[in-house]
Amino acid sequence: MAGRLGPERLPALADDAVGIAGADAVEVVLTATATSLTRFADSRIHQNVARTDGEARVRVVVDGNRVGVGVTNDLSPSGIRETAERAREAATVSPPDPTFRGLPAPPPAGYPDVAAYDERTAATEPAQRADLVARMLAELPRGVYGAGAAVTDAGELAVVNSQGVRAYTRSTRAMLRILASGGDSTGYAEAGAWRAGDLRPEALGERAARKVALGAHPQDVPAGSYPVVLEPLAVATLVEWLGEAGLAGKAALEGRSPVSGRIGEQICSPLVTIVDDATSPLVPGMPFDYEGTPKRRLPLIERGVAVGVAHDTTSAALAGAPGSTGHALPAPNGDGGVPTHLLMEPGDGSVDDLVSGVERGLLVTRFHYTNLTHPTTSTITGMTRDGTFWIEDGRVAYGARNLRFTQSIVDALAGVDAVGAETALSAFLLAGAVRVPALRLRSFAFTSTTTY
Amino acid sequence: VDLADLADAALDAVRATRDTRIEYADVRATHDETESVDVRDDRVEGVSRRSSRGVGIRVLVDGAWGFAATAAASPADVRSAVDVAIDVARASGHVRGEHNRTRLDETPPASGSYVTPHERDPLEVPLAEKVEHLLAAAAAAREAQGLSFVEVVTDGFRRRMAFRSTAGARIEQTVLQVGGGLHAWAVGGGEAQVRCYPNSYRGQFVTGGWEAVLALDLPHHAFDTARDAVALLDAPDLPYAEDATVVVDSSQVALQVHESIGHPLELDRILGMERAYAGTSFVDVDDRGSLQYGSPLVTVTADATTPGGLGTFGYDDEGVPAATADLIRDGKLVGFLTNRETAAELGERSGGTARADSWGTIPLIRMSNVSLAPGEGDLESIVADTADGFLLVTNRSWSIDDRRHNFQFGCEVAYEIKNGQRGRLYRNSSYAGRTVDFWRSCDALGGADDWLVWGVPNCGKGEPAQNARVGHGASTGRFRATIGVR
Repeated sequence: MAGRLGPERLPALADDAVGIAGADAVEVVLTATATSLTRFADSRIHQNVARTDGEARVRVVVDGNRVGVGVTNDLSPSGIRETAERAREAATVSPPDPTFRGLPAPPPAGYPDVAAYDERTAATEPAQRADLVARMLAELPRGVYGAGAAVTDAGELAVVNSQGVRAYTRSTRAMLRILASGGDSTGYAEAGAWRAGDLRPEALGERAARKVALGAHPQDVPAGSYPVVLEPLAVATLVEWLGEAGLAGKAALEGRSPVSGRIGEQICSPLVTIVDDATSPLVPGMPFDYEGTPKRRLPLIERGVAVGVAHDTTSAALAGAPGSTGHALPAPNGDGGVPTHLLMEPGDGSVDDLVSGVERGLLVTRFHYTNLTHPTTSTITGMTRDGTFWIEDGRVAYGARNLRFTQSIVDALAGVDAVGAETALSAFLLAGAVRVPALRLRSFAFTSTTTY
Repeated sequence: VDLADLADAALDAVRATRDTRIEYADVRATHDETESVDVRDDRVEGVSRRSSRGVGIRVLVDGAWGFAATAAASPADVRSAVDVAIDVARASGHVRGEHNRTRLDETPPASGSYVTPHERDPLEVPLAEKVEHLLAAAAAAREAQGLSFVEVVTDGFRRRMAFRSTAGARIEQTVLQVGGGLHAWAVGGGEAQVRCYPNSYRGQFVTGGWEAVLALDLPHHAFDTARDAVALLDAPDLPYAEDATVVVDSSQVALQVHESIGHPLELDRILGMERAYAGTSFVDVDDRGSLQYGSPLVTVTADATTPGGLGTFGYDDEGVPAATADLIRDGKLVGFLTNRETAAELGERSGGTARADSWGTIPLIRMSNVSLAPGEGDLESIVADTADGFLLVTNRSWSIDDRRHNFQFGCEVAYEIKNGQRGRLYRNSSYAGRTVDFWRSCDALGGADDWLVWGVPNCGKGEPAQNARVGHGASTGRFRATIGVR
């Protein structure tokens, strides 16, 4: 369904609204999406959905700095025009916003080329998703059952504004997830790509099944601080929270972030380098943000030193930064720019190599239901899940019952002493993604236990 | 296009296929409208009005589900969506595992209409009036010395829905939900502390009209809330202690009910349908009638008819009339939250808790108003009755494991309780425990005057992720738990 409107027709839907009378400036963000998701549990497909939708998000500015937003999924000319009029009405009743610094102008150098669209992924049929599911399940031994999902999405995005911005892109996304359950243990694997053909369903099923076998008959591990090896899914959770809560420019400016007042300081291990880069072929990227500002590589932590934060137009102006870094979210957004395409630089060695350097500690597959408990220290809490193992003398000794952790992310990353060579695209954030390697940390605080 | 016409057209398109393998189908034509206003200090940070309309078509073909939804309303688009739904269902049938066919319960098809009782539709209140009200509250908060900034917000939701099924159901429903709140921030010395009124995460939400936001009286409470936030900057962190007595305010008890009673008693979770994402439950189907979930003080119901509850409606999204069911009676587990599919697995009828967050998503089991029955007294009398403990107020963070067993909640403020007196203020407070141990330790619950139906407007579940707005009646409670973090 993606590509149904295209680079001419989708932006053209904005033309009437951009010219609405009584507005100083207008921005229209248009999307057209086709989302398909096949869900399975107990090794059978139990939910299976397909949805086509679209959206016009109109931001209208009157009197220079009064701003209102209207959103509709009625992409007819009258639907978008009425939404623009409602946004203008909202702007009219809003007091002047001195922090609003206008809409961006077209970039002189245009937009970067980003490869993130695959026609075959966009055209995936329900039977093909069912086949992906069946191929994952085929790897599970008797007595082990699978739950998870196969996702294929396609979308178009256009940003048009009265300053002359007229940007268009399209993207696809494919994801496979499988949780294998057998006896008293579980195992999990997932993978994402913008080309469904890049996914290896058999490998995911096999990996999840292997964790079930390795984790059978789990034993108690008392709460305490241990060295850990975090697989990429678990690392992604830390990096995702750090990006959202710690590396957003407005939070940093307001003293609510662990990097507030610490740009230029060594906050993590020298082995930690994190960038935001939606132009990288390693993530399903996008050439511009929701204000039409070009995407570019933004270093955030370099060799452990905090070097940057993300901004949109408004938060950049508040911070006195040179300009937006290309990280605007859909308006209205009071949180300012947020990094959405996070990459952590890989090191060398396999997960087994990382494990071999641990005398007594834990190997964690992924975390569950994490939440920020302290913003300025970047402390989060959550549970381990679906593959937690006790390491002894450099080898996985046995499956461990799940534990709760409560840990500062920055402190944890200060203790990184080895980084895995392979990275995994392991989470999609908003329109973005996280690609990270496995890490070995000197200490990670596990604060309570479970009975399974 | 009128919603009833759209729903009729979609159902006609299903019937026109004359596909004899379709055992059942239902269609929901829905129009969601939302208006949000966010004020920060003396300016409006965001004003937005959102509208989303479309139709979702769910078909059961040879015992397997298919669903397709479209925002486009032309007859051709609707016919195409019906064809996709049937294709999707056939694909579902290719991977059946050891499971037999999906069956539905014997709920008879309903006909009727429902509109949330209200005085002023929140989507019809002039924006200028909302902005003025929020700015007044912000101005009052900013009188507090040391405040860094204040956010005051309101959201209004209107959902119009027309439901039809091949079994003969015909329903029209309009649900209005509304809420608002105030977040006061104090930042300094490496700390960022927030105090909210009347609750965190955008405040208190109910079904009803704009009058419910005015009843919160945000301007009147703004200054005290801001002053409390500033006071937290100088407070010590809550120390770590095991097996402490905790008195928990009713808004936090509501979230405790949500996470450790509501979710674990969703029958789809118990049956493993949410295993890969949200998780399962420590509860088994066979625990009903035998599991001592809590102390004898603990009685919990699911009630979609509670006046003003955020989870109150006339019909769920499978067309089942609003219902009330006991979940826990005198501490013993007696029921589950069910939909038509899971109830059929038990040979019962749906409890009417299937809800979808839009026209484009399928109904899942969601809480309606899962409420803890009141006891006696109130927060002050329970504090006065506590020799040695801590009072924890207003949620700040939440986390619970994938079987809803091991939880940890952060709260905005804590107070020491000594000999029945509220004492020292603590910041960065949290309490943790295990679900059944915690509820069995309950030895006091506030009475009817202390009891309030709190709204939880941000309950996540399912893939694609769906948000639900649900309610929980709760009063102050006293329990045993671990406080602080070791």
